[in-house]
Amino acid sequence: MLKLVIEKELRDIITSTKFTVSFAACALLILLAFFMGAAGYNADVGRYEAARRENLKKMEGITDWMMVRNNRIFLPPRPLASLVAGVSNDIGRTTEVHGRGELPQDDTRYGEEPVFAMFRFLDLEFIFQTVLSLFAILFAYDAICGEKERGTMRLSFANPLPRHTFIAGKLIGAFIALAVPLLVPVLLGCVMFSLLGVPLSADEWTRLALIIAAGILYFGAFLTIGIAVSSMTLRSSNAFLTLLVLWIFAVLIVPRSAILIAGRAVDVPSLDDINAKKFRYSEQLFTEDRQKMSGFSPAKTGDMRKMVEEFQGFMGAIADERQKKLDEFSARLNEERANRQALQSAVALGIARISPSASFSLAAATLAGTSVSMKDRYLGAARGYQQSFGKFILDKTGMNPGGGMVFRVRTDETEKPKPIDTHELPVFVSEEAVLADVLPPAMTDLALLVLCILVFFAVAHAAFRRYDLR
Amino acid sequence: MLGTLIVKELKAILASPKFAATFAVCSLLILLSIFIGIREYRTAVRQYDEALQLAAQNVRTQASWMGLTTTTYRMPDPMQIFIPGVNNDIGRLSAINGFEDVKLKNSTYADDPIFALFRSIDFSFIVQVVLSLFAILFTYDAVNGEREGGTLQLTFSNPVPRSAYILAKLAGSWLALVVPLLVPVLLAVLLVMLHGIPLAPDHWARLGFFLLVSLLFFTFFIALGILISTLTRRSATSFLLSLAVWVTLVLIVPRLGVMAAAAADPVPSIAEIEARIDAFAKDRWEGQMKEMEGRWQGRQEAMKGMTKEEREAYEQEKEKEWSNDDEAGRMSVQKDIDTYSTRVNEDLRNRKLNQEHLAFALSRISPASAYQLASMSLAGTGVSLKSRYEDAMREYRTAFTQYVGRKQKETGGQGGFRITVDSQTGFHFSAPRERGTLDVSDLPAFLPPVIRFSETAASAVIDAGLLAVFSLMAFAGAFLAFQRYDVR
Amino acid sequence: MAERPMFEAAGLTKRYEDGVLALDHISFSVQPGEVYAMLGGNGAGKTTTINLFLNFIEPTEGEARIDGIVTHREPLKAKEKIAFVSENVMLYPNFTAMQNLDYFTRLSGRPAPSRSAYREALLRVGLEEEAHGKRLKGFSKGMRQKCGIAIAIMKNAPAILLDEPTSGLDPQAGFEFIGLLRSLRNEGKAILMSTHDIFRAKEVADVVGIMNRGQLVMQRPSGELAGQDMEKLYMQHIAGHTGLAS
Repeated sequence: MLKLVIEKELRDIITSTKFTVSFAACALLILLAFFMGAAGYNADVGRYEAARRENLKKMEGITDWMMVRNNRIFLPPRPLASLVAGVSNDIGRTTEVHGRGELPQDDTRYGEEPVFAMFRFLDLEFIFQTVLSLFAILFAYDAICGEKERGTMRLSFANPLPRHTFIAGKLIGAFIALAVPLLVPVLLGCVMFSLLGVPLSADEWTRLALIIAAGILYFGAFLTIGIAVSSMTLRSSNAFLTLLVLWIFAVLIVPRSAILIAGRAVDVPSLDDINAKKFRYSEQLFTEDRQKMSGFSPAKTGDMRKMVEEFQGFMGAIADERQKKLDEFSARLNEERANRQALQSAVALGIARISPSASFSLAAATLAGTSVSMKDRYLGAARGYQQSFGKFILDKTGMNPGGGMVFRVRTDETEKPKPIDTHELPVFVSEEAVLADVLPPAMTDLALLVLCILVFFAVAHAAFRRYDLR
Repeated sequence: MLGTLIVKELKAILASPKFAATFAVCSLLILLSIFIGIREYRTAVRQYDEALQLAAQNVRTQASWMGLTTTTYRMPDPMQIFIPGVNNDIGRLSAINGFEDVKLKNSTYADDPIFALFRSIDFSFIVQVVLSLFAILFTYDAVNGEREGGTLQLTFSNPVPRSAYILAKLAGSWLALVVPLLVPVLLAVLLVMLHGIPLAPDHWARLGFFLLVSLLFFTFFIALGILISTLTRRSATSFLLSLAVWVTLVLIVPRLGVMAAAAADPVPSIAEIEARIDAFAKDRWEGQMKEMEGRWQGRQEAMKGMTKEEREAYEQEKEKEWSNDDEAGRMSVQKDIDTYSTRVNEDLRNRKLNQEHLAFALSRISPASAYQLASMSLAGTGVSLKSRYEDAMREYRTAFTQYVGRKQKETGGQGGFRITVDSQTGFHFSAPRERGTLDVSDLPAFLPPVIRFSETAASAVIDAGLLAVFSLMAFAGAFLAFQRYDVR
Repeated sequence: MAERPMFEAAGLTKRYEDGVLALDHISFSVQPGEVYAMLGGNGAGKTTTINLFLNFIEPTEGEARIDGIVTHREPLKAKEKIAFVSENVMLYPNFTAMQNLDYFTRLSGRPAPSRSAYREALLRVGLEEEAHGKRLKGFSKGMRQKCGIAIAIMKNAPAILLDEPTSGLDPQAGFEFIGLLRSLRNEGKAILMSTHDIFRAKEVADVVGIMNRGQLVMQRPSGELAGQDMEKLYMQHIAGHTGLAS
């Protein structure tokens, strides 16, 4: 009997004009998202490579590593970020690395090109989140009350058809009829993605598959909500209105409000404040050190080379000392802020997750490696690079490039110095989110989506038990 | 006749439970968005004031004129309550000093990416997405619904002219949907006033124009819904069609337009440009060092054969001259770098401007984009926000460096500290001045750029005109289509 | 009585939540091979009676039984034995007549019959062969009604419940329908139908019951009504009951 209802539901949906039209539109949009994603990724790679090339080129011809005070590293574009943008456009992509000190993250995509911030990107996550949820609603709103309005419900229930079979058949049938066809453009999109030359590792393919699975779950969640509402209303126009309001709240309002509420509830000290504190502290340290500097006198005068070396050693030592203190101070402030931020995002995301739309967004962004933690991951990698860069320059020049311009004017040079080989510089490898890391946090959201489906199915079931069949 | 029809239309909409529900939701959202906007604005103002104080304090505690650096901030504008635009996406501040170019850094979203995750709810967003959806929802079955209900046939069994009927439809739906929405909007404006947000007459003019544009946008969707309803026989069809049109116009076209423009006209990244500027700077500094080496050798040459006393006397005599030579060289290099940087940045900006123009032209196919562009230019929170501030900050940087240069001359010495190592004379360390002894009381202050209604209106007028044309076209389309509508 | 009644209402009472007494202790029965016609105006309680037999609503008091099965106790078992044709048969507009017939027949719980059985059933109710493969979208009310009857025939249930089955049918179709009804009765089906049509009721029914305001005000075998003026009788009972005697 269940099979029969599922079969009927499948046929009913697939043969309708509504399905043909809306499915075509969705399929087109999904393919478009993959196409635009691939094109965007390729363009980003081009820009990234150009930036790296220029960065190395600017060091060519330098004859002394002492002149290389800093190096720029760039956040490499990620294929999955072009499908699920997350916060990747809001994170600074360029970092100037000195041997020590703070690591600023500049040049966010949206800050650099505000035209994109105006309208945002059309990525796969957006299509799933807004368009596919609407698509689900469109087919679910009249699933139950529509049969009543059409009058087919009376005839169906004149037969020995249990109510739970009917509602289960409705949901399963609608899910299969809508989700399976959607997989076709998604798979085509994946094929197109690799045909357009976007390299995806096995790990990335797995994560992409999970993102799609999350999308399908989210779609199922909206379908179930739609059927639940449909089995609580007698008229399909009311069901649609209710669902549209729910959709607006779930997709557009709740996630945003949650963040704003959390922003109010948990106060995070502003970065300006922290920077000012750091600045003042470093000034204070510097004033202290200047006394020491003035008091410096070399143990032995006369030998220029020895003197410079001794002075460099001395300066390096106090700079290291100063930096250590400053680092401790900064670390404390940064950690305080990070803790507040973590609390804030925990509150925000906790509230936002009321909406399945937020759960989906979070799951997708986490899996793609473009969630809020992206910034920390990048910063961590940049810190690692800072150390290896510092060590490299220390090895080359005998001093840590802490900042400040060093002019070495040679008056006793006889042979022409050889230019440095920029390829010796350590290469920045940005840590990529891997499945093992992102799966546990994403599991929460995936589980929430499943829970949402179950709860609303229970609601639909309970409501339909009392549904007036007349 | 027309009156009767309009009154009927008003009653039909206002008495429906659908109306009560949507009106409540819309009012709630509008008021919520304004409330949030006010809170955000006030926080921004507080942070801005604090930041300014901290910046002033930092300037006072510095020790060297040469290395003097300060920070300028973007000033919050009350218009961002209604239309934040790209306000949170572009950097809030830029360092101002003699050795780096102006660059807006630390956007709100970059500092706290959690806020970027879902973006914000603002008034223009509510109008653009929610109100347009509701407009469609009320009008998609305006005509064909009456046909299905059989009332159309009954109506036209009376001596009713078609033109009167369709005009009444348009006018009635418009009145029934627009007038009630003015209530929460006016309440919202009142809320802003009650919170003591300072609004200059100029702001009021911009706000008024913005509300007018919102109204035009809303009107377009009412007309569009009726148009679709007169083009189709069944309300189920028109419903699907209007929803598809809404998704396309509001959600897809604006984004697609921009992405297509980016693909058609790619612009190099700022990182690449900066690396190029750095390369230029490196070359110039290297040249400068060669010159310095040459000068040194020349000086050593001149002193050859002198006794130690003669030498010291000669050095004493020449010190000022030498120092000025070195300084002049340094300054000329910095100037060259600045010029180069300005030129390259200008280039980049022009390319971006072209890209933006293309993007806007492409996305303006959709009234939603036209609305967004109009409202952002009125609020001054569109893409021009960035260039406006960068220009003002560059100008300030010029004034700032001139001031610093003058002070440096006046007070003598280059500030900071200087280490000289010489194989003959040994090691010298000199620190001419103590921290916190700079007199910066006459440092010019950064004045945030002000935009006037006239400027914003000039660019908004195109989009407002476009919206008017779109609305008229939809109206006219509905009118014409209904003349041949089969009322059976 | 030799046989167990197929339809049986025993003190059937329904009071809605809003307090309206829709049915007031109604009792009647329909034997296999018998046609029972319920007559009555709008709001008399005919549809409520049908809804109770289909367990779409639960009785406040009393029982509705199908072949001895109490419908609100074992609704699924009872529904195996009923075929139902509503006043306005509504089917899935995207499905063809054949597909609709197939779906509803299989929904009745019996193994899927062959295509030729469907064809036969559709032909029997007078639906031309060329319409069998067409979607229901374009069907007129009469054609839909014919499909509904075909569904009832295919179900081959011993009890047939008809809610105003002839409304909206043209005279030709109405005439054909009466013939069909007779043949079903001759097959031994018990038929309970509600109708406004007093003339048809007299023509086809074995027993006629007149309902008014939730009560069964008259019930007679049609044989007894042979010579009587039905219209007069109907008006008399309705009016007499409401106290508006002419």
